[in-house]
Amino acid sequence: MNAARNEIAVTAGDGNLLALARDLGKSYPRVFRRRDRLRALGKLLVGIDGIDSVPVLRGVNLDVVRGESLGLIGENGAGKSTLLKLLTGVLTPTTGSVEVHGRVGALLELGAGFHPEYTGRDNVAMSAALYGLGADELREKLPQIIEFADIGRYIDEPVKHYSSGMVVRLGFAIVAALKPDLLITDEVLAVGDESFQKKCVRWMEDYLAHGGTLILVSHSMYHIQKLCRHALWLRQGEVAAAGDVFEVTQAYLAYHERKSVAAPDRSIIAGQGVEFHLLGLAANDMEQETPVFLNQGDTLRLTARVRSRDGRPPTVAFGIARADGTAVYGVSSEMDGIAPQRLDAHTWVAEIVFDDLSLLPGAYTVKAHPMDTEGVRLFDTIERGIVVRGSTREFGLVRLRHRWHDASAQVMAQNGADSASSSSS
Amino acid sequence: MTSDALQRERVGKSTAITVHFIRRELRNRYLGSVSDGLWTLLQPLMQLAIYGFVWTYVFKMRPPGGDVSPAAIVPFLALGVWPWNAFSEAVLRAATAIQDNAGLIGKVAFPRGALVFAASSASFLLHGVGFIVVVIASELLGVPLRLMHLPLALLAFALLFVLALGFGYLFAAVQVFVRDTSQVLAQLLPLMMFTAPVLYSRDYLPERFQAWLGWNPFTFYPEYLRAELLGVGFVGIGAQLGALALALAVLALGYAVFRRLNPRFEDFL
Repeated sequence: MNAARNEIAVTAGDGNLLALARDLGKSYPRVFRRRDRLRALGKLLVGIDGIDSVPVLRGVNLDVVRGESLGLIGENGAGKSTLLKLLTGVLTPTTGSVEVHGRVGALLELGAGFHPEYTGRDNVAMSAALYGLGADELREKLPQIIEFADIGRYIDEPVKHYSSGMVVRLGFAIVAALKPDLLITDEVLAVGDESFQKKCVRWMEDYLAHGGTLILVSHSMYHIQKLCRHALWLRQGEVAAAGDVFEVTQAYLAYHERKSVAAPDRSIIAGQGVEFHLLGLAANDMEQETPVFLNQGDTLRLTARVRSRDGRPPTVAFGIARADGTAVYGVSSEMDGIAPQRLDAHTWVAEIVFDDLSLLPGAYTVKAHPMDTEGVRLFDTIERGIVVRGSTREFGLVRLRHRWHDASAQVMAQNGADSASSSSS
Repeated sequence: MTSDALQRERVGKSTAITVHFIRRELRNRYLGSVSDGLWTLLQPLMQLAIYGFVWTYVFKMRPPGGDVSPAAIVPFLALGVWPWNAFSEAVLRAATAIQDNAGLIGKVAFPRGALVFAASSASFLLHGVGFIVVVIASELLGVPLRLMHLPLALLAFALLFVLALGFGYLFAAVQVFVRDTSQVLAQLLPLMMFTAPVLYSRDYLPERFQAWLGWNPFTFYPEYLRAELLGVGFVGIGAQLGALALALAVLALGYAVFRRLNPRFEDFL
């Protein structure tokens, strides 16, 4: 395969589709010794594509239309930066194709393209040239860049004396002045201080409001949810999920929460010799191992079937915990004075219904435990995953009933009282 | 945007970047401080004075052609040493241009060839300044050069630049994959200098070796410059066309290799 054929084509588009990737993949060559490099050189020169390589990105399809805001999420090493580099043209794809139309502004890494020995001003000039700005355009935009960066006298000092925050300030200021059609940033917000982060977020919101297009990599789900309408989750170089930002970020967070819990011992205690054991647990009539999805405010019905060795009625306890193990709520049939229904001589069923589920979006584990008739000894556990979807930005586990002190109503009431008192005087 | 406008924007961008790289390259080398600016002028003069001294009094060499003054050895040497300095420095600098800018290449998309072009042209610009100084010094020494032929000499310099650029593209690309390319080059270039009539004239060689010099691609340049500017020796039209063809062929080859390897630079840097 001829590598040159895969060059990123920067061509005139129909004005709406800014970036397009089809079956995009990237592999890095496995070269350790000098001999490997020589062999790779030879193969590339004669045009054989047989270099031993490690894939870091596979089969990514992407359409970014004008006005889109896409968040890229994923663990370290998932291929996010590689994807961005492919989009900006820094890297050449190994498989598939990528096309980018229009002017791209990229903040790929901290201080990308800055030379440490030169002053901020010189580096601004350099970056401007790299982005294709002419000398007169630069002259016109320089005050704006310096003002946005807001690093004071440091603008005339070598970049090596900068703090990392200052480097990001300067980098962002340049990109902001460029007004690119497509802005691509890689986890740069994390470095700036609070006020600069706010400034950047404000700028990006303004940029998006004026029809700008954004691809943002961040580990901050807050920033992703605040700035992006869609999200793409990369896992081990492949797209794990793509779509609405809230659904994707929640699935991603749920994955992390599940990951951080040690793999639970799901082996159901063997029936022999145990007074009570669970035959099954269904969430909304589904007994599968994979999580059950429901929306905030839906009804959650948990049904547990218990086998009783001696035919005595069991107590059944249900619990809800966040996927990382934090308990949310637990209750047993004995606490509420309820007896499970008897199906046959040895089988009992308990069903609990949570109407208008107040869990906040996220991943949770529901558990059922059979206990003895007195509700003292616990015999068995089955867990099921559920994922609550929703697009709220509230924090925590559940929505607590609340109301706001209505200031405007208060003021109006006050005014009313004032006018009443003035009219009476 | 129409594709025409886009094409123009890309060309404009490449030009702006190249100009910027050249400026940076010049600053990096000599113009970092006040004394360095002076140094670019002093260095060629000192080098020339020492060469003239050594060649006249130690090696007791006379410039070829019996009727010229002994002082003519100075411009004679200068016309070999300056093109050589420009050429060898351009090739060596260009060879590491990609590797030295690995950080930039990994983070920003830009035409990478501009780095090689800037490294080569900065060398030629600097040594061009030195060359002008030498021409003036030669006039002051009472060895007038045939300045009417200066445009031809500059054309030869331009051709030498094409040759250096071709080697530059080639070695810059190979250097990314084979890291000792530049070290090997640094060893080989002096051999190339001594097998070309840089510090001597072809006439000084025994008859049977004289033709061998023709195999060295650099031989043409000092001989042509001396013939045009000093009136020493003669270079036929065949040799001129040969040098032109060779320079263009090297540039075509070097650029082709560079283009082919360019998409994979980032993987191997």
